Amino acid sequence: MEIRILGPGCSRCHEVERRTFNVLAELNLAADVRKITDIKKIMEYNLLSTPGLVIDGKVKCSGRIPRPEEIKAWILERT
Amino acid sequence: MDLAGTLLKLLQGGLGNLAAYLAAHVLLCLVPAFFIAGAMTALIPKESVTRFLGRNAPKYVSYPAAALAGSVLSVCSCTVVPLFAGIYRKGAGLGPAITFLFFAPAANILALVYTGGVIGADLAFARLFLSLSFGIGIGMIMALIFRRSDIAHDENTDTLFAKRASMQRSALVFLFILIALLLSGTLKIGLLTNAYARVTLPLSGLERFQEFLNRIIPFDSSKGQEGVTVQGVVLIGLLFLVAFVSWRGLGRISEGFNGLTWASLGLVVLTLLVASVGIETHAEGLDILFTGKMFGVILSMVFLGYIGRKRLTQDEVRDFLWESWRFIKQIFPLLVVGVFFVGVMRVIIRPEWIRALAGQNTLLGNLAGVVFGVFMYFPTLVEVPIAKMFLSLGMHRGPLLAYLMADPELSLQSILMISAIIGRAKAWIYVIWVALFSTLAGLIYGAFEDGANIWSITLYLLAFLSLLAAGLWWMSKRSAVRSAASPEVSEER
Repeated sequence: MEIRILGPGCSRCHEVERRTFNVLAELNLAADVRKITDIKKIMEYNLLSTPGLVIDGKVKCSGRIPRPEEIKAWILERT
Repeated sequence: MDLAGTLLKLLQGGLGNLAAYLAAHVLLCLVPAFFIAGAMTALIPKESVTRFLGRNAPKYVSYPAAALAGSVLSVCSCTVVPLFAGIYRKGAGLGPAITFLFFAPAANILALVYTGGVIGADLAFARLFLSLSFGIGIGMIMALIFRRSDIAHDENTDTLFAKRASMQRSALVFLFILIALLLSGTLKIGLLTNAYARVTLPLSGLERFQEFLNRIIPFDSSKGQEGVTVQGVVLIGLLFLVAFVSWRGLGRISEGFNGLTWASLGLVVLTLLVASVGIETHAEGLDILFTGKMFGVILSMVFLGYIGRKRLTQDEVRDFLWESWRFIKQIFPLLVVGVFFVGVMRVIIRPEWIRALAGQNTLLGNLAGVVFGVFMYFPTLVEVPIAKMFLSLGMHRGPLLAYLMADPELSLQSILMISAIIGRAKAWIYVIWVALFSTLAGLIYGAFEDGANIWSITLYLLAFLSLLAAGLWWMSKRSAVRSAASPEVSEER
C-alpha cells in the first residue's frame, strides 16, 4: 500500500502523519509512507489545500486533519 | 564594567517589556482570538468559501469571497501559500488568488483583533478597510496585466470549486459567542469597564509587594512603558500553569479527553476571569472590582460550555481544541521572543531618530515604513508590538499604517515562495504594487489623522484610482488589438 502525506511541513501535516503512523501501528500493517513537501508535486494531486492524505493514488482528504477512525477505515478498505 | 551595565540594562528592558506585556494586554484579546482562529479552522468547511472562487463565479462574488477566505481560513503563512497555490493552479484565476494572498496575512482575525487591542481600534479598522480595498484592487490589476497568460489556465478544474458544504447552525452560534467573549473583554465602553460591586480581601503586605514590583521593573510612563501589577503577576503565573497543563491536556486531545484537558480548560476560564476583574491594592488588602467585563466573560463562557457539550459533536470539540492549541503553540513563543527583543530595541533606539525619519506624515516617512517592513522579517503578529514601540517612540500613525500594511505582505522569504509559484515577473510586479499601495495607504490615513477634510482625501483617492483604471484599460485595449492582429500561442506551456 502506498500512502502519501501532502504538505509543506506545517504542524497540521505532521499531525496527519502522526495519526497515520499510529493507525498503521495499531493495525500492525506495513505500508510505503512518504511525505511530499514540494509544492509543485503537491499540486499534481489536484487538490485545493493542504494537508492532504493520498492512499494508493487517490486523494482521500484535503484541507483538514482526518480523524484516526477515518484513516483506519480508508486503510482497511484497501487491504 | 560599562559593558556589563549596558547589557544588564538591555536585559532589564527586554524582561520588563515582556512582563508588562503578558500582564496587561495579552489575555482578554489574545486568548479568545486564538480560540476563535481555532474554531474557524476546525468548524468552517473550506468548501463553503472556496466554491465561490471558481472561474465561473462572477467577479463581484469571487473577489470579496477571496478576501473573506483570506480572513477566515488562514492565520499563518504556512496555510496561506499552499492555499494560494491551490486557488491559482486550479483555475480560480490570478486576480482572486492575489486578493487572497494580500488580504490573508494583513487582515486575518488574529492580526486585526491584536492590532485593535494593543494599538487602537482606529488603526485596526484602517488596516481592515484599506487592506480590503487594496487587496481587491491589486488582484484586479494583476489579472488585467497578465490577462493573456491567465486565460491559459486549466479550464476543466471548476469541479474542485463546486463542492458544497454548509456550516452547521450550532457551529456558527458557537463562533459568534466566541466573538462576543472577545468583544466583552476588549471593548472600552463604560458599560463594560464600570465596576458594579466590590469585595475587599484582608491580605496585608500586598502594597509592599507592589512597591517591590515597581522597583525591579522600573517604568517610565512618559515613554509609553507600563509597569507590572499584582494582578499581572497572578496572570503570568496562571499562564505558565495553563501552558504546562495544556501541553498534555490539549496536545493529546485527538486521542480523547483526559483529566488534564478539563484541568487546562478550567485554568483558561480562571485566567480570563482574573484578567477581567479589576484589582486594586492598598494598605488594608486588596479590592476586587466586579466589572461589566467580568459578567460578559462569565455569560459567554456559560453559553460556550452549553453549546460545546450539547450541540457540537465530540469530534468537533476535539478538532476545535486541537486547532486552538496548535495556534497557541505556534504563535505564542514567537510573540514572547519578539516582545522581549522589542523591549531590548526600545532601550537602544533613540526617539529622535524615529521622529526625524517618520515623525511626520510625509512621502519619505511612509516609504521608510514600507522599506523597513520589507527588509525586516518578523514572524506572524510580532509586527504589532513592534508597531506599538514605534508609536511610543514618536512615529506618526500614517507611516505606522504603511509599515503595518507592508510588513506581513512583503518579506524576502515570502517573495521567493510566491515567485516559485507564479513566476518571477509576476511576483516582482506584485511586490511593486504592494509597496506603492502601502505607501499610499499610509499617506491617506496620515492625512486623515492630521485632520484633513475627508472629502478632499476621497477626491484624491478617486482621481488616483481613475487614472489607474484608465491606464489599465488603455493597456488591455492595446494588447487586445495586438493579439487580434496576430493570434499567438499563449506563453505558459
